Amino acid sequence: MSHHLEKSRNSCALHGALQLFEAIDAVVPVIHSTSGCGVQHYLGVTRLSGGNDTFGSPPVSSSNITQKHVVFGGGSRLREQLKNTVKVVQGDLYAIVTGCSTEMVGDDIPAMAREGRDQDWPVIFANTPGFSGDVHQGYHLAVKALIEQLPDIVKTQEVIPAGLVNIWGIIPNQDPFWRGNLQELGRLLEGVGLIPNLLLGRDQSIASWKQVPGAVLNLVISPWGKLPAQLLEERYTIPSITLDGLPVGTSASILLRRLTEQLELDPIRTEKFITREESLLNYQLARLADTYYRAGFQREFALVGESAQVIGIGEFLVKSFGMLPGTLVITDNPPESIREEVAGRLATILPGYDTVVIFSEDQSEITDVVRAGDPGLILGSSLEQEVAVELGVPFLALSFPLFDRIVLERAYAGYRGAATLLEDMGSAILSCSNYINEAS
Amino acid sequence: MSIKQGKHIAIYGKGGIGKSTTTSNISAALADAGYRVIQIGCDPKSDSTTILRGGNDLPTVLDTLREQSKVRLEDISAVGFGGVLCIEAGGPVPGVGCAGRGINAAVELLQELHVFDEFKPDFVLYDVLGDVVCGGFAVPIRDGLADRAFVVSSSDFMSIFAANNLFKAVNKYAPSGGARLGGIIANSILAAYAPALIDDFAGKTGTHVIGYVPRSLVVAQSELYGKTVIEAAPQSEQAQVYRNLAKYIDENDDSVIPKPLNSPELKKWAREWGDRIFEVETGVVHEMASI
Ligand SMILES: Nc1ncnc2c1ncn2[C@@H]1O[C@H](COP(=O)(O)OP(=O)(O)OP(=O)(O)O)[C@@H](O)[C@H]1O
Ligand code: SF4
Ligand SMILES: [Mg+2]
Repeated sequence: MSHHLEKSRNSCALHGALQLFEAIDAVVPVIHSTSGCGVQHYLGVTRLSGGNDTFGSPPVSSSNITQKHVVFGGGSRLREQLKNTVKVVQGDLYAIVTGCSTEMVGDDIPAMAREGRDQDWPVIFANTPGFSGDVHQGYHLAVKALIEQLPDIVKTQEVIPAGLVNIWGIIPNQDPFWRGNLQELGRLLEGVGLIPNLLLGRDQSIASWKQVPGAVLNLVISPWGKLPAQLLEERYTIPSITLDGLPVGTSASILLRRLTEQLELDPIRTEKFITREESLLNYQLARLADTYYRAGFQREFALVGESAQVIGIGEFLVKSFGMLPGTLVITDNPPESIREEVAGRLATILPGYDTVVIFSEDQSEITDVVRAGDPGLILGSSLEQEVAVELGVPFLALSFPLFDRIVLERAYAGYRGAATLLEDMGSAILSCSNYINEAS
Repeated sequence: MSIKQGKHIAIYGKGGIGKSTTTSNISAALADAGYRVIQIGCDPKSDSTTILRGGNDLPTVLDTLREQSKVRLEDISAVGFGGVLCIEAGGPVPGVGCAGRGINAAVELLQELHVFDEFKPDFVLYDVLGDVVCGGFAVPIRDGLADRAFVVSSSDFMSIFAANNLFKAVNKYAPSGGARLGGIIANSILAAYAPALIDDFAGKTGTHVIGYVPRSLVVAQSELYGKTVIEAAPQSEQAQVYRNLAKYIDENDDSVIPKPLNSPELKKWAREWGDRIFEVETGVVHEMASI
């Protein structure tokens, strides 16, 4: 089943793990691999996600192995690198991640981590060679490492606030809006009296991860959050609520009601919060109505992104905004077991409408499918701009890789995210049609 | 790469089957006949050339490479019996690192050092570790490094199995410029049926046996003296056997692309031989009992 893959937007497992660790304050990743692995992570991932990477590349440590370490084993190089890293970079946690070459050779990484721990250094490890899977698998492996190994390192008993909810399935940078989306999800949870455990982003540190076992619930936002939730259910019997996609607009209300029922929260408070949020969103929609009809917003769109985005954003645009789902492309290779369900759900997103749903990470296939659908609007990664220009239709970049927009705190999740999405998408439509009017 | 100096020959075979003994004796016989010979042990155990060097110490290429950045030919070679230049590729500590990549690194270094241009060998013999376990151990038969590969095999099934694996590797690489198969060297021949069994396997796979080396005490004795049979017992019958092998390799450039058996075929073939050997041992007389 091998075929040529053009411009894949899914980097390797090592990079997925790095993205997770880099998103936690004072966690220092130590790459045990060839030097290119870390560079490639910067060039191929962090730099391509909304322009908010660390100045001059992220501060990661790398053992930069050479042929000598492949032949004789790289264990001692890693030992040395770990020692030096602990000396010069202060961190709450050092996370060893491995690349293809060192895993081929079979360096004994657990032993190296154990040696570090014997010296009282807080060290965990994740075996993350690129050949073990893509960026999503890397997220899995890193989260698993934290869940399984952190309890051995931090023995202190944490005071855990009541109503703590862990959020899983948002992969930093792979979702360019991860910061904003997490913030908005946090705001929703707070709105109904819960305490969000965002785990990633600003001010999220090992302290947040130490609280994971004490949460009352795992909130799963994408297929990639299922594994952590499952691990936590097995270990600590924490139940979960699983969504396949981002809650955008009124799907947030559905989520909040589910939370309220499952966790027996105060329904009056929840309804009050929902009413306030929905009425604001409706007010905003009403103000948009004139432009909506004048500029012909209602049109067929193509949407290319990870499953959580395509489901969340797609459903909102169709159900709350009357857009027509022409082509939906899911790029994150979700597990076979859920594909049928996801495809079924999306194919009937607008009952009776002929929606094309495909799973692909191959640029040329994606372009062909989008082009064949002849959409009136394209929402996708920066890679889809080319076909949008070719078709002369408005375009909004919202999925990875995102290299022609700056995303600092922007979100497309929740109620606020829905409004932001409409602003961005509407602006894209208007600027494109003005351009066309003037040109003609 | 410059024009290849001399004939390059790789010797493969199951672990412990007698590769190093046979290769060293062939090297010794070739040297005795006046040729310039290099023997390169491509095995982490680095004991390929021991009996050519009277058991003296020889730092391996990889150990030297690990310790010093600049390596000279003198550091990694020793002159053994008859002027044979002995080199051991060496390898990592067992259980650590990648020995396959090590073979690669060692061979690269030898090329960088222009060993072949400078020594101008008539023969280069590569004594390669048992099974072709991974790509690294196929290096000598890939990329046109060796022209011909020979496999040492006894009549034991596991040894035939290893030979068949080598045939698979040769079959894979030969069409793109890798080594072709020179033939089988039957070693440790003791049982009466052994030559027939090996001949039959050779026939089935489209190759032939270039010599039958009997199991002999002289070999063990010479080894205890740290010597080849050629050096320790030049007048013995066993020495003549090795000389004949050397002569064959010298005078014959025949090579084939073997046709390895697939697993069911190999199993079936082995079972049939099992039955025949059992019948011979238990005295059942058959029409074709010429074995
Ligand atoms: N024809 C023979 N008669 C008697 N003994 C032999 C004969 N051939 C090999 N041996 C003995 O068998 C043992 C193994 O031989 P040798 O080291 O050459 O095998 P090898 O294939 O190189 O093994 P390895 O795979 O471990 O490198 C040695 O002790 C050697 O003396
Ligand atoms: S695929 Fe392997 S070699 Fe490439 S960057 Fe990832 S870990 Fe490194
Ligand atoms: Mg040997």
